Amino acid sequence: MHGWRDELELRRLQEVMRRKLTRRGFLKGAGIGAAGIGAASVLPSCGGGIGTGETDVTPADLFGGPMEDEVHFANWPVYIDKAKDPETGERYSPSLRMFEEETGVSVNYAEVIQENASFFGKLQPQLQAGQATGWDIIVMTNGWEFTALVRNGWVYPLDTTKRPNFDGNALDWAADPPFDPGAQHSMAYQSGITGMVYNADLIAPIATLDDLADPSKVPPDSVGMIKADMPDFVMINLGIDPTTSGPDGWREAADWLIKQRETGVVRQYYEQGYVDDLTAGNLAASMAWSGDVFYYQVWGGYPNLEFVFPEGGGYLWTDNMMVPAGAANPVAALALMDWFYRPDIATMLQEFIFYMSPCAGTQELILEDAAAAEEEGSKGYANKLRATAENEYLFPSDELLARCSFGRQLETDEEKEEWDSIFEPISEG
Amino acid sequence: MAAVDTVHRPRPHGIERRRRRVAYGLLFPGGGWLLVFFLVPVFIMAYTSLMSGGVLSGGFRFTWEFSNYLDALTGRQVFVLRSLSFAAMTTIGTVLLAYPAAYWIAFHGGRWKNTLLFMILLPYFVSFVIRTVQWKFILADNGPLLGTLKDLGIVPGDFHVLATPIAVVGGLIYNYLPFAALPLFVALDRIDRTLIEGAYDLYANRTQAFLKIVFPLSMPGVFAATLLTFVPATGDYVEAEILGGPTTKMIGNIIQTEFLTRARYPVAAALSMVLMLTMVLLTSIYAKAIGTEDETLAAARL
Amino acid sequence: MTATAIAGTRVAPVSEAPLRKHRKRPTRLILPLYTVLLMLYLVTPILMMILYGFNDIPGERQTPRFWGFTLDWYRTMFDDPSLTQAVRNSVVIAIVAAAVATPLGTTLGLALGRYGFRGKAAVSFVIFMAIAVPEIVLGSSLLSMFVQAEAPLGFTTILLAHIAFSVPFVAVTVRARVQGMDRSLEDAAQDLFASPLVAFWKVTFPIILPGILAGLMLAFVLSLDDFVITNFVSGQLQTFPIWVYGATRIGLPPTVNVLGTLLFVAGVVLALLTAVSQRGEGSEGRPKEAPGV
Repeated sequence: MHGWRDELELRRLQEVMRRKLTRRGFLKGAGIGAAGIGAASVLPSCGGGIGTGETDVTPADLFGGPMEDEVHFANWPVYIDKAKDPETGERYSPSLRMFEEETGVSVNYAEVIQENASFFGKLQPQLQAGQATGWDIIVMTNGWEFTALVRNGWVYPLDTTKRPNFDGNALDWAADPPFDPGAQHSMAYQSGITGMVYNADLIAPIATLDDLADPSKVPPDSVGMIKADMPDFVMINLGIDPTTSGPDGWREAADWLIKQRETGVVRQYYEQGYVDDLTAGNLAASMAWSGDVFYYQVWGGYPNLEFVFPEGGGYLWTDNMMVPAGAANPVAALALMDWFYRPDIATMLQEFIFYMSPCAGTQELILEDAAAAEEEGSKGYANKLRATAENEYLFPSDELLARCSFGRQLETDEEKEEWDSIFEPISEG
Repeated sequence: MAAVDTVHRPRPHGIERRRRRVAYGLLFPGGGWLLVFFLVPVFIMAYTSLMSGGVLSGGFRFTWEFSNYLDALTGRQVFVLRSLSFAAMTTIGTVLLAYPAAYWIAFHGGRWKNTLLFMILLPYFVSFVIRTVQWKFILADNGPLLGTLKDLGIVPGDFHVLATPIAVVGGLIYNYLPFAALPLFVALDRIDRTLIEGAYDLYANRTQAFLKIVFPLSMPGVFAATLLTFVPATGDYVEAEILGGPTTKMIGNIIQTEFLTRARYPVAAALSMVLMLTMVLLTSIYAKAIGTEDETLAAARL
Repeated sequence: MTATAIAGTRVAPVSEAPLRKHRKRPTRLILPLYTVLLMLYLVTPILMMILYGFNDIPGERQTPRFWGFTLDWYRTMFDDPSLTQAVRNSVVIAIVAAAVATPLGTTLGLALGRYGFRGKAAVSFVIFMAIAVPEIVLGSSLLSMFVQAEAPLGFTTILLAHIAFSVPFVAVTVRARVQGMDRSLEDAAQDLFASPLVAFWKVTFPIILPGILAGLMLAFVLSLDDFVITNFVSGQLQTFPIWVYGATRIGLPPTVNVLGTLLFVAGVVLALLTAVSQRGEGSEGRPKEAPGV
C-alpha cells in the first residue's frame, strides 16, 4: 500500500516532468496537502525545501526551457519609467514596451508592493503551502524578508550563465552583495542611501546623527525617524559595523535611541510616510531616503529640503529582483531582469527614479540626454537631468561608498527576536 | 397598547414550534456564510495562536504553545487601556454627534429621509486613506487651520494637533460616525409618533417626552451604535498610524507590528484572540446591563 | 382641560407630519442647522480632496501646498489603466458584496430580533466576534484558508471575504430596527387569512425596510473602503484602496484626487436621483405602525 509519502514522491516526479506546462509546477510534491497549516510548514528536514539542494532541479533546469509568452512583474510604486502614449493617451513604461517589442513577451506590470513586510505576509501562506503566487518577478529590499525567502527556498536560485548584461555591466556592489554572495538569488534593481534631511526654511543645517537628538538644533516634536532603518543607521553613526554587530552593539544603538526619545524632539517613528510630514512642514529634520529628497528637491517643488550625508556614515540598502518559487515564466523573468542591465534601459529608469542604478554607464548617457534636451530647447528639463547626472549620491565615488554600510543580516529566528525585543519597544508608546 | 410586550404572550404550542423553525430557517443563509468564511478563519487563528517557530527557520508548527499568550500580553496593558479609552471616547463622540442629526432626519426628514441618510454616507465612498490623509493636510502644523490660528495668536507657535491623542480620537470619531448614525436613525425612525402625541396629551413638555419616551425607545439603536463603534475602534490602527505619534499607539498597531514587522504570527494571533474575546465579554455585559437582549420594551416600560 | 383644547390637539394627521407645529419658535431651527453643520464637517476633507484635484503641482506627487489651478489631472485621469481598473473592481465588488450581504444579514437580524430560539446567545456571540476581530489577523487567516483550499486568489475571494465581514454589520442594523416590533400586526394579518409569507411581506417588511436599506448602505461603504483584508486575499487584483495605499509611499498622485472626486460626485448624483424618485411617492412614504387598540 502506498503511504502518503510514496504517493507524493510519485506525484512529484510526474510533476517535475510536467513542470513546464503547469503553473503548480513541482512544488506540490514538497510534502504539502490537506494536512493543514501546521504540517504544511516546510521544514528543511521534510522532503527538502522547495528548489534548494534538490538533486534533480538546478538553476539550469529551472531556466532552461523555451521563452514563455508573458511575465508578471510585481514592483513598488514610482519605480519605473512612465510616459504617455501619444496615440492612446495611456500611461505606459517605455522600457517595458521596448522589451515587449524585442522579445515578444508581454509584461504584466503591477505596483502592488507597498512594504516588504506586508507583501511578504501576503505571499508567505502560499509559498509555505507550495503554491504559485502568480508573480514571476518580485522586488524585495535586503532584510529579514529577503533572508527568509532565500533560506526557505521560496525563491529560485538564478541561472548565472544566462544574464549577459548583468555580467557585463553590474557595478561591484550589485554583482556581489554581502547579503547574497555572487547574486545567486537576486539581481539588484535600485539602491539607495538612508541619510538625513532638514528643512532649510525651518532650521540651520545639520551634519551629524547627534544633531537629530539635539534640542538646541531641532525644535521639540519635529524629528522623524524611520523605524526599519534606524537601528542600522544609528549603529553606523556610532562607529559600529552593523554587518558584524551583536546584541551589545544593538543595545548601544538602542540606548542612543532611548536618549533621543527622552529629549522630546521625536515626532513620530515612521513606517514610510515621513515625506508627507516633511513637505507639510511638520518636520524640521528627519532620517530620509536619498531618492525621496532628491525627487522633491529637483522635481517636486521643494528646494528647501536638503539631503545630508551624515558624518558618521550612510546606511546602504538595495531593492532586489527575485523570482519566487512556483513562477510560471522563469525564463522570461530572467530575461527581463537582465534587460534592466542594459545601459540605455538603465538610463531610462534612472532619469525617472532618483536612486542608484546598479548598471554602469548611465551617467554618461544621462548627460547625453541632457545635451540633447538642451538643443531641443527644453532647458528646464535639461537642467534637471544634469542635476541628476551630477548628483554624488546617485553616482557615488568609491570613498563615499566606503563610508556607507549595509545593515545587519538577521540569520536566525532567535537573532531576529532579540533584535526586535531590543528595538521595537522604543517606537511603542 | 401598541407597545405592549407581545412576544411572550401565551400562544398555542404549535405556533411556537413553527416560529422556532422559521427562526432557524432565517438563521441558515447568513449564519452558514459566517460559519464558513468567519468561524473557519477564526479557528485557523486560534490554531495559529498555539503554534511556534519562525519565518527564518522555515515555518510554524502546532505545539500547544500557550506561552504565546504570555508574550502577547506582557507589558501591553498600556495599549489595551489606551485603546479602550480611545474607543470609549469614539463611541461617546459619535453617538453624541450623530444622535441629534439622526433624530432630526427621523422625525422631520419627511420624504427626504433616505436621501439625507445617504448624504451622510457619501464622504465614506472615498477611500479612508484619502480621507485621513486630507485631514493630515488640514491639521498640518502650519496648514490652513492651525496656521490661521497661530497667525491670529490664538494658539502658541509650537502647538500641533497631529501626533497627539486629539488627532487620533478626532480621526476615529470622524471615520466611525456613519456606524453610529445609521443604527440610531433606524431605531429612532421606528418610534410610533402616537406615543409622543399621547405624552403631550398627558401634559408632558418636549423634554419630558424625549426623556421618557423617545430616548428609551431608541435604546436598541444606541446599543447597536455602541457595538458598531466601540468594538471595531478598539482594534483600529489606521488613525493612530497616520495621525498619531509614539505616545498614541493602540493595540491594533501592536498587532500590526507583531504580524508584519516581527513576523510573530502566533503571537499576533494570540493577541487578536484576546482582543476579540474581551470585546465579546464586554459587549455581552453591556447588553445585559441595558437589557436589550431581552427586548428594550423592558426599558420602554416607562 | 376643556374638550375643545383636547380636540384641538388631535387635528394633526398621524403620519409623516412633523410634531408640534403649534408655535413658531427659534429653537426649532437648532436641529436642522446642526444637521447641516454636521454634514459640512463630514464633507470637509472631501472638499479638500476635490480642491487638490486641481492642484498645479510641479512634480507628480501631491503636496500639502496649493500651487494654483489646473485641469491637467482631469485631462489625464484615465491615462493609467491600472488605476481605472482598480476603481472599476472596487465598485463592482462593492455592489455585489452589498447585494449579497444584505439579504444574508437581514435574515440574521430578523432571527435575532424577533425570535427566541436555542443558541440565540451563541449566534449573538459570533456576530460580536465578527465585529471585534482585528482585520489583519482575519485577513491573514482567510488567506490561509483560501490557500489550503487551493482557491485562486482574486475577484471571487475578495467578494467572499467582503460579504463575510459585512453580514454582521447588516444584521446588527436590522436587528436594531426589528427589536420590540409588535407582532400583533402580523398576527392580525394572518387572522385576516393572509399566509405567513404575505403577512411578512405586506406588514413586517415595509416596517423594517429602512433598516435593510441602512444595512445595504453600510455594507456598500464597508466593501468599497476595505484595505487590509482585501490586500491579503486579492492575489494580483487591485482595488482602489490598495492602489491608493500603495501610492501613499511617496505621496498621492493627484489623479487619485480626481477619481475620488468622481466617486463622490457619482454618489451625489445617486442621492439626488433617489430624492427625486421619492418625490413621486407623495408624502406618504412608508406605512407607520397603526395606533394601538
